[in-house]
Amino acid sequence: MRLFAWLKKQPPPVPDDKPQPTLQSLLQRAVAGLYSVVDPEVGVNIVDLGLVYQIDTDNDAVHIHLTTTAPACPMAHFLYQQAQQAVAAQTGRAAHVELVMDPTWTPAMMSAAARRQLGGESV
Amino acid sequence: MSLLRFPLLATGLLLLLNALAAGLERQGWPLPLPDRSSLHGGLMVGGFLGTLISLERAVALGRFWAYLAPASTGLGGLGLLLWPTSPYPMAAILLGSLGLFAVITVVFQRHPQSYMIYMALGAGAWTMGNILWWLGWPLYTFVPWWMSFLLCTIASERLELSRLLQPSLKIQLLLAGAVALPLVGALLKTTAVLGLTPSPHLLGLADRTVGLGLVLTAAWFWRFDIARRTLRQTGLTRYIALCLLCGYTWLAVGGLLGLIAGPIVAGPLYDAVLHAFFAGFVLAMILGHAPLVFPAVLGLPIAYTPLFYLPLALLQISLALRLASDLLYWVPGQQWGGLFNTIALLLFLLTVLYSIVNRRLSPA
Repeated sequence: MRLFAWLKKQPPPVPDDKPQPTLQSLLQRAVAGLYSVVDPEVGVNIVDLGLVYQIDTDNDAVHIHLTTTAPACPMAHFLYQQAQQAVAAQTGRAAHVELVMDPTWTPAMMSAAARRQLGGESV
Repeated sequence: MSLLRFPLLATGLLLLLNALAAGLERQGWPLPLPDRSSLHGGLMVGGFLGTLISLERAVALGRFWAYLAPASTGLGGLGLLLWPTSPYPMAAILLGSLGLFAVITVVFQRHPQSYMIYMALGAGAWTMGNILWWLGWPLYTFVPWWMSFLLCTIASERLELSRLLQPSLKIQLLLAGAVALPLVGALLKTTAVLGLTPSPHLLGLADRTVGLGLVLTAAWFWRFDIARRTLRQTGLTRYIALCLLCGYTWLAVGGLLGLIAGPIVAGPLYDAVLHAFFAGFVLAMILGHAPLVFPAVLGLPIAYTPLFYLPLALLQISLALRLASDLLYWVPGQQWGGLFNTIALLLFLLTVLYSIVNRRLSPA
């Protein structure tokens, strides 16, 4: 019995020398990933468009609430996939993206950078 | 549900190929196929564009029942090929247009936004046109309804994106007024054909109203759409912007010709007005958005390559040749223009395919 227990015994975990990223740096990397996702029709990234409502991180995953400019946007799935891939690649963590429609997106949610990129003043 | 997307998109593309073949037959090109020249418009609008637009809406809504609309139009289109004189395929496409209306109504109830009204009006106009088509009316009598379907649908999408520029209420009302004119023209034409109006001049007034609406809508797009601004970007964004601006130009050309010509029922001017609208304006939207929409529908990455400029350029040049020949009554020019319109679209489809395959084969 003791021999059996000895055989099953796992080696003690080797401490990882690499410093684990802090939640703050994970968050920064996730945001950097989201900045790389561009709406192909307008050529502006989804953060500046105001489509990212919320980002949370824990040690295992990044959780993102994403919206679209229109509820029946055929590009929703595409942006969802792009955000998921970009954040996972930047953070090395699983990215859980949830498409949310509440509150409804409005142009007021765009950043000043997005407005500049689209030519400045409104029409 | 993603399993439904591929066969429906493939059906739409099959109908496009048949619509193109029917168009060539209309122009007198000998093809080793049964004569389907009378089906050209029905296959293109109801079969291809109707299936594509309904499928795009179904993907966006994400409900199983929404896929019944493109399934119905797709089956109707296939039915047209098999039984060209039967009323049932037309009825299936009519049911599909009602299905699209239902899908849009559901989305509107959830998210009542002004641009959704345009989309609902478009589906309603398509349904009206399909009813008259099913009743056996000649195409020229109800084609303004089909044009309004596409104009309203595209206006809805452009208005939705133009919100990024925060247009004022006055500017939005200008678009509403411009887009309403072709609907009024379509209604006038229907009442004139039914004999409900006292004057035969109303047919001309109806077509001129449609033409004026097209010109004003084109002017609105040129002035207030984001395309002129996104033209300064690079890659796919710039390509889409150029497609849009080409499309708006053809929309203005088609509208202007309609406005000048008045009542048109057949002949070269009829060909010019319809193809400036359908091939110049509507297909420019397809060329611009297919690199986004086809992969989005199929769940694939975006397919873009600068090679897309080739079919776009070929379409513009061949359409210019076709319309100039229409105005000059030069038949060989019309025929060659039409042939190269078709070749441009085939080249475009091959480019999309190449781009998708190339993207899948190359490492991420």
